[in-house]
Amino acid sequence: MSAALERGVEKLKGEIDARVVSYFSSCVHCGICAEACLFYTETGDERYTPIYKTEPLRKVWQQNHTFWGKLASNLGLSKPLTDSDLADWEELAYDGCSVCSRCTMVCPIGIDIAYMIRKVKEGLAAAGYVPDGLQLAGERALKLGSPMGLTEKSLRAAIAEQEKETGMSIPVDVVGADYLCMLSSNEVVTYAEFIGSITRIFAKAGISWTLSSDYFEATNTGVQIGDSKIAAELSGRIVKVAEKLKVKYVISPECGHAYTTIRWDAPNFLKRKLPFKVVHIMELLEQLHKEGKLKTKGKFNEAVTYHDPCNISRRAGVINQPRSLMNMVATNFEEMHDHGDMNWCCGGGGGVSSNDRAIPLRYKAFDVKKRQLDELSANTIVTACSNCRMILEDGLEHNGMQQEVIGITEFIAHYLE
Amino acid sequence: MFVQWVNGIFWDIAVVVFVIGIIWRLIAVFRHGTRKDLAEPRGSAVSGAVYTGFSRFLPRPEIRSKISLHVIAGYMFHLGLFVLLLFAAPHIKFAEEHVLGFGWAAMPHWAFVVSAQIAFAGLILLWLQRILNPVTRLISRADDYVGTYLLFLVMLTGCMAMFESYTGLRIAHLLTVELFMVYFPFSSLMHAILFIPSRGYTGSLFGLRGVKA
Amino acid sequence: MTDKRKRVRRGKKFMLWSGYALLLILVLPLIPYTIQAASNYYHRPAPVVNPIQIPDPGSGLWRDVRQRDKSYVGTTQVQGVDTGVLINADGEKWRLYRMDTLIPYGAILMGVVLALILLFYFVRGRVRVPDGFSGKKILRFTLSERMVHWFTAFLFIFLGITGLVLLYGRFVLIPLLGPAGFSVTASACKEAHNLFGPIFLFAMLALLITFIKDNFYARGDMKWLVKGGGMLGGHASAGRFNAGEKIWFWLAIILGFALCITGLILDFAVVGQGRQVMELSHVIHSISAVVMIAVSFGHIYLGTAGMEGSFSSMSNGYVDENWAKSHHDLWYEEVRHHTDAVPLKTSVAAGGIAQARREI
Repeated sequence: MSAALERGVEKLKGEIDARVVSYFSSCVHCGICAEACLFYTETGDERYTPIYKTEPLRKVWQQNHTFWGKLASNLGLSKPLTDSDLADWEELAYDGCSVCSRCTMVCPIGIDIAYMIRKVKEGLAAAGYVPDGLQLAGERALKLGSPMGLTEKSLRAAIAEQEKETGMSIPVDVVGADYLCMLSSNEVVTYAEFIGSITRIFAKAGISWTLSSDYFEATNTGVQIGDSKIAAELSGRIVKVAEKLKVKYVISPECGHAYTTIRWDAPNFLKRKLPFKVVHIMELLEQLHKEGKLKTKGKFNEAVTYHDPCNISRRAGVINQPRSLMNMVATNFEEMHDHGDMNWCCGGGGGVSSNDRAIPLRYKAFDVKKRQLDELSANTIVTACSNCRMILEDGLEHNGMQQEVIGITEFIAHYLE
Repeated sequence: MFVQWVNGIFWDIAVVVFVIGIIWRLIAVFRHGTRKDLAEPRGSAVSGAVYTGFSRFLPRPEIRSKISLHVIAGYMFHLGLFVLLLFAAPHIKFAEEHVLGFGWAAMPHWAFVVSAQIAFAGLILLWLQRILNPVTRLISRADDYVGTYLLFLVMLTGCMAMFESYTGLRIAHLLTVELFMVYFPFSSLMHAILFIPSRGYTGSLFGLRGVKA
Repeated sequence: MTDKRKRVRRGKKFMLWSGYALLLILVLPLIPYTIQAASNYYHRPAPVVNPIQIPDPGSGLWRDVRQRDKSYVGTTQVQGVDTGVLINADGEKWRLYRMDTLIPYGAILMGVVLALILLFYFVRGRVRVPDGFSGKKILRFTLSERMVHWFTAFLFIFLGITGLVLLYGRFVLIPLLGPAGFSVTASACKEAHNLFGPIFLFAMLALLITFIKDNFYARGDMKWLVKGGGMLGGHASAGRFNAGEKIWFWLAIILGFALCITGLILDFAVVGQGRQVMELSHVIHSISAVVMIAVSFGHIYLGTAGMEGSFSSMSNGYVDENWAKSHHDLWYEEVRHHTDAVPLKTSVAAGGIAQARREI
């Protein structure tokens, strides 16, 4: 057994908890999860069956925690995990899974398959079986503070550009502000309009807020890799700047896993309750609208649809807020046939978007989104995750489709009174 | 001699293995414990667990059409089996004399026949699907097949012994039932019990997050 | 070992195990027999005493009792079908049909078919794909078509075996198991046959609905028949199903429904059917069954050992391109351009990536 493999197996052993034992003990291998997975439905390749992607963890559980497994191990009849197994599952867990958790929603036994795939990634990462693109993004995030390798300089440039655009000054490092808004790297380099949009909305609403120049990154590559050490380090940095700036709230920007991580996972990574509340930008906007602090004028009259980011809807429960925001400004809001907590993933979640070798597979998996969009008349797709936005734009271009993709904050800001 | 064993000592062994095995499997799950979720909850874990506990009895409408065979054959098999188990006259008599000490109303013979047919049709369809669908072919383990075949034998011997006219047939049924009970705690047949904690764990996580799962 | 090969091997293992399980189910009736035989070892049947032949003085009375010329209609307080009949005069006719006609001729028919298959095998050998396998696969039967086929097949084999035990058991099984052993086996088979029979009706309905659209007469079917399906040499063109398969389909449908209807009449004697109806039903039921079983031997032979490359069409649904060209050329021309008909799994994510990583 190679040292890397041993590290991986030990890690997997440590990942087994009551939930995993209950899940594996009760799985009847019915295969229903496959029908919920875009990587299976679009390729027809049964290896992408969600529960099959947890096979390394299942094997470790079976050989160490079950009667038959222990018996076989003692008799020398069991086939332990091999390096080549891990290499095979690197492809299944990182390229062929966006951890969208749609499978979790349909399992008749109620198995949280996404939860276990996340654990499989822990084992693969410990053994060093991580796609290069993701590995590098993780290293950049740790060293430079952003998976794209952006530094404070890029942030300052984006802020300057947006101040010019809006003619307003953007608060940075304001100690004692109510809200600290984190950003994803995408929103600094590609979709900087997000910064301008919140500046305008918050100014109208009279919100006390700030950006942080020390550490602005909301995303967490550690979660995508499945390395809880990196994940804890990166979410710890957010907590640190929030505590330094003494804010009451941290705003998670338009990014799916960033919200789930800081809202639901960070306290468990850091093993303590957070001294501030976490809100997604959509939650805040909806609350401002209810309080009458966010008023719009004019309407978007063309057909428009909303793409649910999995980590915001299914995995974190922000489902109604975007609908109420959309109906606030759109007169012709169309839903895709599966939406809300059963939406189809764009195909780029869970770190797939940072993994270049997965591009052909990701384009194939995008077919389901294409079908969904072809059924609608909408030429505008609104979403709340800059990663989804990027993947949607890429997929649309690949398929020669004309729809335009826009972030929801920007979409609302257009109609600010 | 053998008949007496099956009626006596084998049955006792089967009951002991069945009960202790199930308790052992439950301990195997719960001894690991779970960590308290430290994130500020949006909803209740308990109501989430209860909701998911029931919601998963029905397929999500979004994939209903794709898994209609699973659902129909699955319900045919499970319902047929439970009706046979609980309301067949010989079973009630057996429970009254050997297990519980009291009985209840049995179903008429025609209902016995119909539920057996429904259960058999469901079981055969599920078994065929396991073999013929590439997905289930890939993920199924020997355990899944052993469970299926054992249960088929239990049901078949049961139906052969329907009129209890031969001791041999009754003993064959009892023997396969005993085998089934001994195998139960060591297999994924445990899903009959462990589906509750599985749904509960998932449901409580989603309940905290305010998602109806 | 690659993932693919591992899968194929595991698939084969599972099929093998499924076969064992089926075998196990089939020998199941022996278990109760063993138990019964052990406990009945000392209870040998009493010897039969030969009756003394004496002329019957009351033959006129007996003729009346038998109601042979329908001159007497019996009356009884028991209200029910045929309760006024003391002795069923047609019963002897039915008994003679079963013993002297059905049992010997049924056995001859099935035996002759088996012999013909054996002869065919020695003369023609296994029918091979002319140019060998191309490696390119075409989807021939979808998952639901295969489900319907095997559901029907499973029930057919199960009912066939239990039915044959009831018909031929006294010749084949009594010598093996003894009267007590056969008694328990026959009882078990009767219960199982009666229980599974009604399910077969639903299988037949599903079979009819699933396969009817490709089984109507089409141009070229006659030519195929004249050429003997190409078995006599030369090539016979065929669509998705050839004329032989179509005949088998319609035979199976007609005989299958006849079996179901007569079977239900025999199984549920609660709607007022009398002895004559039951006897007639049994005659139809038994003839249909024997013919269907005999023809099924040919179907099973051609689907498995008799023809190279056939079985996979019903196991994983795919056939080789060369197989399709050789046996169903017209169907092949139809589906070859239809991209959906060739849903080959293109492993989009390079299955080679993991491979390459391993090799580095």
